[in-house]
Amino acid sequence: MGADLTTVALAPDDAAAIILSPPSPSLAFWAAFRENKGAVFGLWLLALVVAMALLAGFIAPHSPIEQFRDAVKAPPVWEAGGSWRYILGTDGAGRDMLSRIIYGARVSLFIGLSVMSVSFVIGGALGLISAMSGAVADVAITRVMDLIMAVPSLVLAILVVAILGPSLTNTIVAVTIAYLPRYVRLMRASALGELNKDYVTAARVVGVGWLRLMMITILPNCLAPLIVQAALGVSDAILEAAALGFLGLGAQPPTPEWGSMLADSREFIRSNPWIVTFPGLAILITVVAINLTGDGLRDALDPKMRRS
Amino acid sequence: MLAYFFRRILLTIPTFVALMFATFVAIRLVPGDPVEVRVGEHGMSPERLAMFRHELGLDLPVWKQFLSYVWQLLHGDFGTSLSTQQKVLTEFLTLFPATLELSFFALMFALLIGLPTGVIAAVRRGSYFDQALMSLATIGYSMPIFWWGLLLIMFVAVNLGLTPVSGRIDLIQYYFEPVTGFMTIDALLSDQPGAFLDALHHLVLPAVVLGTVPLAVIARMTRSSMLEVLSEDYVRTARAKGLSPLRVIGLHALRNALLPVVTVIGLQTSALLAGAVLTETIFSWPGVGKWLIDSISRRDYPALQGGVMLVSTVVILVNVMVDLLYGAINPRILHGR
Repeated sequence: MGADLTTVALAPDDAAAIILSPPSPSLAFWAAFRENKGAVFGLWLLALVVAMALLAGFIAPHSPIEQFRDAVKAPPVWEAGGSWRYILGTDGAGRDMLSRIIYGARVSLFIGLSVMSVSFVIGGALGLISAMSGAVADVAITRVMDLIMAVPSLVLAILVVAILGPSLTNTIVAVTIAYLPRYVRLMRASALGELNKDYVTAARVVGVGWLRLMMITILPNCLAPLIVQAALGVSDAILEAAALGFLGLGAQPPTPEWGSMLADSREFIRSNPWIVTFPGLAILITVVAINLTGDGLRDALDPKMRRS
Repeated sequence: MLAYFFRRILLTIPTFVALMFATFVAIRLVPGDPVEVRVGEHGMSPERLAMFRHELGLDLPVWKQFLSYVWQLLHGDFGTSLSTQQKVLTEFLTLFPATLELSFFALMFALLIGLPTGVIAAVRRGSYFDQALMSLATIGYSMPIFWWGLLLIMFVAVNLGLTPVSGRIDLIQYYFEPVTGFMTIDALLSDQPGAFLDALHHLVLPAVVLGTVPLAVIARMTRSSMLEVLSEDYVRTARAKGLSPLRVIGLHALRNALLPVVTVIGLQTSALLAGAVLTETIFSWPGVGKWLIDSISRRDYPALQGGVMLVSTVVILVNVMVDLLYGAINPRILHGR
């Protein structure tokens, strides 16, 4: 950049050229993202977790649900009595912890991404409709969202699961409902902000139809905050789903879900601490990775939102 | 000012109606015969079924059922728990002080550490302290608190033996009738030496666990809000006048920086109640959160229905109070509209 500035100072013609060709958006984005060391670290960490999820079948030493009856509660390799066969030890049913944690990445990321994409699409659509349609739809949508916000997210998720029954799919449904209002409100607010701008008025004057106005004129300009919310929403969804699993209301055993792996680990606190330690550590690392990446994404996408 | 307060309170009415409707519908979505779901009995004879159906008013048209449900709620009847045969409201009111006490100490923990560290981080921006605090805040914010609780029990309570593992007080050593429902206050009132300290001792770990996420949020929020205020003109003026840094930060900057923090604290109520479900489950804390989870495993749907209704009512009321408080301390809100 320093070199560019001297060029600008010395040769005005080049300056014009530089101004006329700004760096491509993706390059500018990457440059801004790279500035944030935490975000880059988070991205690496996240890449690791994603790789673990994708390659689970190749890197996991055992099947995540196979019970080794001869090695129940085997300690991890570095402890007395541990062996390289079960690097992180085995759980109360003799299942390999490492394999369950590796496969667990798949489950957690799947939950996080499903919740994120469903609430992104539905929440975004509801928010847009709420902002652009008449008072009746707006009031109805806003009220319902207010209602959902009034119930603590986990309590709402518990209620949904209590009605639908505990399962992986219902976890996703429950968490999606609990997190929908954030997307709706964000979309509604930014769409309302855009509606008053000149370019929208211009489009209206030209006679652009309602649907086109909504989808092509306004939507792209509201996406940045929604994308940031979506990125950070993945980590919240993972945490929430893990909490449900921990309470025995999420994915059911033997599914290798990190939260449900902790569900009955309380009895092992005294005797087998590794059964308690690793699944939670996996949740924490994944969530930290996503939050760091999401923070970086926010700073890079919208410098105005930067938390200085 | 009054008009603002009045309007804000009126605005909650539609939410309450929607909440009543939602809980009314929710219990109807539970799979199984609606009478059996409510009575908690299975394989009833047709006569018994018909009797309960009539008793519960399930033979009426749905709109009449809804109206009578609303009528009951307005008269403080939130249903009867299947497992204890007690009124849901009575159970809730007995258990709620435990949750309130836990949440209060958790919030105190978060505020007492979050506010000062957030301010220091903002004043010493970019320092090692700032960087360390922000990294810790990211970790705290991302913490699965059920696991955090298990870890603390493992290290602090079991390995080091520094705190009790669960419960609110040592029931073998101390016993007294609940007066307020707040163990710390009741312990003080009981005149039993050591009871108060024991109650506090039991509170430490659960309060830390429940306060971790709010602590991270408050520290981050205080820091960024403080940074914004510190760059304002009036802070520069105060500095230029030669006021001591402590006075500038403590009096001029902090007061204004606290406004957004108050909102965040209000928003944390809902998060605290959700966190209480997990914290109470881990520490066998006899509060509302554990009660909700227990009623699911007992298939006590009326208790669950009434419980959700009551918890949400608390959240709505707290949000209203925070808004009113915010209006009171920030005159711009009142005059802006």
